[in-house]
Amino acid sequence: MQGYLDEQFVQLEDLQDDANPNFVEEIVTLFYTDSARLIHNIEQALESRPLDFIRLDDYMHQFKGSSSSIGAKKVKNECTQFREHCSARMQKGTLHCLHDSLHMVLKPFNKGGELVTDFNLRCVRTFQQVKQEHTILRRKLETYFQLARQAGLAN
Amino acid sequence: MKLLNGINSNKKSCQQGNGDLISDEKLTALVVDSDIICQVLEKAILESQGIQAQVVGSGRDAIDLLASGVNFDLIIIAMVLPIMNGVETTRQIRAMGIRSKMLGVTACSYERERRAFLDAGVDEFIEKPLTPQKLASVLREIRNA
Repeated sequence: MQGYLDEQFVQLEDLQDDANPNFVEEIVTLFYTDSARLIHNIEQALESRPLDFIRLDDYMHQFKGSSSSIGAKKVKNECTQFREHCSARMQKGTLHCLHDSLHMVLKPFNKGGELVTDFNLRCVRTFQQVKQEHTILRRKLETYFQLARQAGLAN
Repeated sequence: MKLLNGINSNKKSCQQGNGDLISDEKLTALVVDSDIICQVLEKAILESQGIQAQVVGSGRDAIDLLASGVNFDLIIIAMVLPIMNGVETTRQIRAMGIRSKMLGVTACSYERERRAFLDAGVDEFIEKPLTPQKLASVLREIRNA
């Protein structure tokens, strides 16, 4: 789990007590339920043309907030990367609209017939990284909680 | 879900190093955040500190609650909220004459966001996640006020 979770996860464990013996597992379960919704929203937003970078940024802001709340370090870092791409894109503003227009003339369409820009590709790739870290962490946490339950039964 | 239900009714006393009580009152807090994970976590942290916490998911709900006359010692407010963001909500809360301690929280602490939040009227601004350590100095100020 080292590298995947930060100090915040320990804080969650400190909040667990006799009154809330499964607090950590419950909040992690809640995170994965809620983040599935966010992932779906982001996927839909990434399919829209033109990309709404403000909406994408808002979704990823939420994702980063909830990831950091459970100590999901790598997921949080990938969310930061994604937001930096969005922020750079939003700052380019008019200049990038011109860049996109130029792309439409010079670059080929992709196989689906969609216009492809560097920024769009970067966003999609970064989002794939977010999802990958999200999935890896879920598997590790499932194993962790399984072991914790077994240890509890043994005690 | 049981995480979202109930409030611990622990009464928290603060003790100075020499054993004298600073305050025996139960503090109250309002959490204004649309993110359910943050709602659960912040409420749990507050309750672990002996604070009675209430949660709302939007700026509008916060304003309606405060307008109804309910008072809170502390308001923890997220920057990103549906319809009316945290900055605008803070501005409106302060315009209502509410002087509760306000702590702004956000997932990304860009300087421009921090400045906007402080200018709107929050007393302090932190980057998520909220932790007992980050909350400690705020609570000390409230209890000593």
